[in-house]
Amino acid sequence: MVTEHFPWLTAILLFPAVAALAVPIIPDKEGKTIRWYALGVALIELLVMVTVFRQHYELGSASFQMSETYPWIPALGLNWSLAVDGLSMPLVLLTGLITTLSIFASWNVTNKPRLFYFLMLVLFSAQIGVFAARDLLLFFLMWEIELVPVYLLVSIWGGAKRLYAATKFILYTAAGSIFILVAGLAMAFYGDVTFDMAVLSQKQYPYLMQLLCFAGFLVAFGVKLPIFPLHTWLPDTHGEASAPVSMILAGVLLKMGGYGLIRFNLEMLPDAHVVFAPILMVLGVVNILYGAFSAFAQVNMKRRLAYSSISHMGFVLLGIASFTDLGISGALLQMLSHGLIAACLFFLAGVTYDRTHTLMMDEMGGVAKPMPKTFALFTIAAMASLALPGMSGFVSELKVFLGVATSDVYGQSFRVVMTLLAASGLIITPIYLLSMLRQVFYGNDAAAHGQGFTDAKPREVFIAACLILPIIVIGSYPKLATQTYEAKAVAVVSEVRQAMVTMPGDANAVRLAETLR
Amino acid sequence: METAYQLAWLIPVFPLLAALVTGIGLITFTKATSRSRSLASVLSVSSVAGSMVLSFWLLWSQIQGHDAYVQTFEWAQAGSFHLNMGFVVDHLTTMMLAVVTTVAFLVMIYTDGYMAHDDGYVRFYAYLSLFSSSMMGLVLSPNLVQIYIFWELVGMCSYLLIGFWYDRKGAADACQKAFVTNRVGDFGLLLGLLGIYWATGSFEFAEMGDRLKELVESGALSSGLAALFAILVFMGPAAKSAQFPLHVWLPDAMEGPTPISALIHAATMVAAGVFLIARMFPVFEELPVVMDTIAYTGAFTAFLGASIALTQNDIKKGLAYSTISQLGYMVMGMGVGAYGAGLFHLMTHAYFKAMLFLGSGSVIHGMEAVVGHDPVLAQDMRAMGGLRKYMPITSATFLIGTLAICGIPPFAGFWSKDEILASTYAVNPLLWAVGFGTAGLTAFYMFRMYFMTFEGSFRGNDGALLATIRAEVPVVEHHSSVHEGHGDEHSSDHGSGSVHHAHEPHESPFTMTFPLMALAVPSVLVGLLGTPMGNYFEAFIHAPGEAIAEVPVEGFTPEFLVMAGSSVGVGLLGISLAVLIFLQGKISSDKIAQSVLPLYLFSRNKWYLDDLYDRLFVTGSRRLARQVLEVDAKIVDGVVNLAGFSAVVSGEALKYFENGKAQFYALVIFIGVLGLVIFTSV
Repeated sequence: MVTEHFPWLTAILLFPAVAALAVPIIPDKEGKTIRWYALGVALIELLVMVTVFRQHYELGSASFQMSETYPWIPALGLNWSLAVDGLSMPLVLLTGLITTLSIFASWNVTNKPRLFYFLMLVLFSAQIGVFAARDLLLFFLMWEIELVPVYLLVSIWGGAKRLYAATKFILYTAAGSIFILVAGLAMAFYGDVTFDMAVLSQKQYPYLMQLLCFAGFLVAFGVKLPIFPLHTWLPDTHGEASAPVSMILAGVLLKMGGYGLIRFNLEMLPDAHVVFAPILMVLGVVNILYGAFSAFAQVNMKRRLAYSSISHMGFVLLGIASFTDLGISGALLQMLSHGLIAACLFFLAGVTYDRTHTLMMDEMGGVAKPMPKTFALFTIAAMASLALPGMSGFVSELKVFLGVATSDVYGQSFRVVMTLLAASGLIITPIYLLSMLRQVFYGNDAAAHGQGFTDAKPREVFIAACLILPIIVIGSYPKLATQTYEAKAVAVVSEVRQAMVTMPGDANAVRLAETLR
Repeated sequence: METAYQLAWLIPVFPLLAALVTGIGLITFTKATSRSRSLASVLSVSSVAGSMVLSFWLLWSQIQGHDAYVQTFEWAQAGSFHLNMGFVVDHLTTMMLAVVTTVAFLVMIYTDGYMAHDDGYVRFYAYLSLFSSSMMGLVLSPNLVQIYIFWELVGMCSYLLIGFWYDRKGAADACQKAFVTNRVGDFGLLLGLLGIYWATGSFEFAEMGDRLKELVESGALSSGLAALFAILVFMGPAAKSAQFPLHVWLPDAMEGPTPISALIHAATMVAAGVFLIARMFPVFEELPVVMDTIAYTGAFTAFLGASIALTQNDIKKGLAYSTISQLGYMVMGMGVGAYGAGLFHLMTHAYFKAMLFLGSGSVIHGMEAVVGHDPVLAQDMRAMGGLRKYMPITSATFLIGTLAICGIPPFAGFWSKDEILASTYAVNPLLWAVGFGTAGLTAFYMFRMYFMTFEGSFRGNDGALLATIRAEVPVVEHHSSVHEGHGDEHSSDHGSGSVHHAHEPHESPFTMTFPLMALAVPSVLVGLLGTPMGNYFEAFIHAPGEAIAEVPVEGFTPEFLVMAGSSVGVGLLGISLAVLIFLQGKISSDKIAQSVLPLYLFSRNKWYLDDLYDRLFVTGSRRLARQVLEVDAKIVDGVVNLAGFSAVVSGEALKYFENGKAQFYALVIFIGVLGLVIFTSV
């Protein structure tokens, strides 16, 4: 199959990687050319992305768009097949924004800058590849490629325990990805062999196979999202990674978990989803509360933020499990919103760390006075994270709550308990976020800890503003963001609801046990 | 007239723009913006003035009998779910807008004098504008979700403003406490909102009420569940309006600058809870259990606040507890179905309490000239006394406010409080008795406050007394506030900058006394809108279900005279007692305190509620969090690590066996390029 139009997606995907190849040969005496080059590449990429989607992406369509397919390794059946739909397009844009800003955030990398920017650009491509791949094998390939730069970025530019953290990261995620491969191949070879995701979701699999594959994908994406109890790599990695890497990690990489859950588990295995949904919902609630409490007990700022990510990603699970338009729409918005908010928080944590040289909150205090701008920006980001209305997090969480509360699939008491528990996360979130602000910025200890802190530079204010602006815009008028995926969300829901109809009854957990026997 | 309605959205937008301009300026060009003081204050004050003009235009039009006006647009959508936002202009909205904009306008003028020497002058105006905008948005909200949105936004502004002096420990603790306590209320509000939406499929107030009634009547929804949802919603107002058991944040909120205490924590935001009860009235009034809960909560809170206010020595804390108590009256009024009376009291209270708080700010301002910029000393009434001589305008307006809150005719508070008490008596004499007794307490503690502050002789130069007061405060807090020039209101107010610069307090500047005088007018007169000779207020503001065609004229009936006479009587009793103890000194307050020591300590220590909460919730949640984290580090991490490693060992081989080729190629390419990069960059 040859695509008629210009292969925009291929161009978008390959451009940063190809540009990265030139990094080694660019003359760079003072160590400043490279960063301008990398930033330029990222900006062009982002610009092209936005223009192309504006012109060629059609709002209100639920199917794959801008598809392009080229046979790559016919012997393996591997096609270079790319496409975007409502599920992936916003995430590709998010990737573009976050990665560009994180390259800008790493302005002061002095240790092996060439390698650093090279890896960042490769990572840029790989992330887009994960979201844009339409071919299962290509998806898997991209999924794996994206791990390598992250591993290196953590293990070379991280904190004191960076090697432990990087190894833990790669082991967890690599172990998780095996499940993708096994489950994916099983599905590909069932019936007519195909790796096309659109075709895969049309196939009817045997019930038991659906359940097993679902479980496999759940483990793989559960590591990435992360879902309790597969989350422990996240605080370690965030605690050690440098701020720009944390931005990408929290801003984009976690979203791959949510993306995978919807793309594979929901779209391809709707029957199994009916069985697993209550489990997902329980796990979501556990994520929210467990993450929030763990965050509260943390004394390391970035680890606290990492646990808060776990807590917030719980809402994605709740939305996915809700079987309602509102819930799925909320889950998708939560992914975008959390991507922006978490990136902003981690970036500002980095800005603070650059001055204080510690992440231990009990060693800080009174930082607001020398750094009023950072204080203001951090407060805004924290408010966004605790789902203050007027910011994107509120809309997504409200939608998820409405979705869960009005879901007709679950029994009344189950829903009440889940909503109640999830909502109590709303109380704990401000406790740990505000007490973080309290410990770091409030008070009058700066005199004791040296006044030499300089406030955020214009570059840093600009980066934070680039993240805060969309947070507020989406929060003020969420339709701007939701219309990009609205049709897709409705289609996904109607698919899983169809599966619901064909298998009536709601004692799902019991049925799971019967099937496995 | 129509244009005014089409432009109503501008009311919150004016101050929002002012807040945005100053806020963005502060983040981008911090120094330049902080220096352009007059620009910031003129911008903020004129934006609120714009809103005020528009609000009064709308109020006039509503009084003329214009229909309610609603305009909405689709804000969020998912599948078949549609959520609209917009604004509604009706009687209740315009009344609230009038109150909010006038108080905000006057407080902003006052701020210019009060914050004149603070480094954060511009930032303060930015916050003030943001708050005003959110508060106006709240009042204009046509549905429950939009109210929830602005509800949290005013809460955030309150957080920012309480923590305005972020280098003070007290302020830092208080702002966090305020936000979290309010979140507990919002948690209930959100759950109630979800529950009601699930049952009725609507966020519109009237629709929610109607459908809930239908569902309960048809048996589709148990009345218990409906009541539960409504009580959950009530948790929101309970937190915002500082009702027991969620009142604990309000007294601490006095750590914020005094203009804030007047605007947010007395006149507007805390009254938003009562406003929401009014908006939710169609839902609540059909559920007797809910109405009773509201009424009893209000009555209990009224008593609780008054009983604590009896023994407070900090003038702002005293006023804060009095606010809690007065809010209790309003809530009780709403709970017994006295919709108009509750809102009437909201309006009169907003004016006289804002004036009292601004008066206390003026007093503190004057005291600081003598005792230095230590809030512990400057706010303690034991160090005041005799200020009437030095601050004639402040003392006169404070006296008017005191008479108003005590319910002495013809001041505003008399008419509104009496209406609440009369309506309560008709429904529930027990609640009336609580309210009646509280009225006596109110008169006592308010006059105690007035006498301690303005009468007698000035005690601010008594070194031993000051040392005693200082010694009562924990050392840490004391240090952070005394040795810190920045953040205090007037770091170089009176030239010298040393701790004691004058022996006599002085009257505040005109920008501060003007708002006091301006607020004195409604504090005296606004009550006349709701007299038995013509209850114009009731005719304008009445429950959605009621229909009142003409201004109710009851006249001074015997019932009214008995009711009013008795509450004035109990007020006078309280005042006489205060005169005996604090003006003439015929009875020693210490002796009374000694004779009922347990009760005295109970009141002095705020019923020990703060300590109880601290032990129960703060320590409890900390411990739980630590335990969760321990489980995470030791058990979850350990077990999963173990499982993970075994999976890797068995799985890694499998992966390369199954899909070796493509991986291999990619890997080779990748490593090749990688090698090249490493080679060249080293």
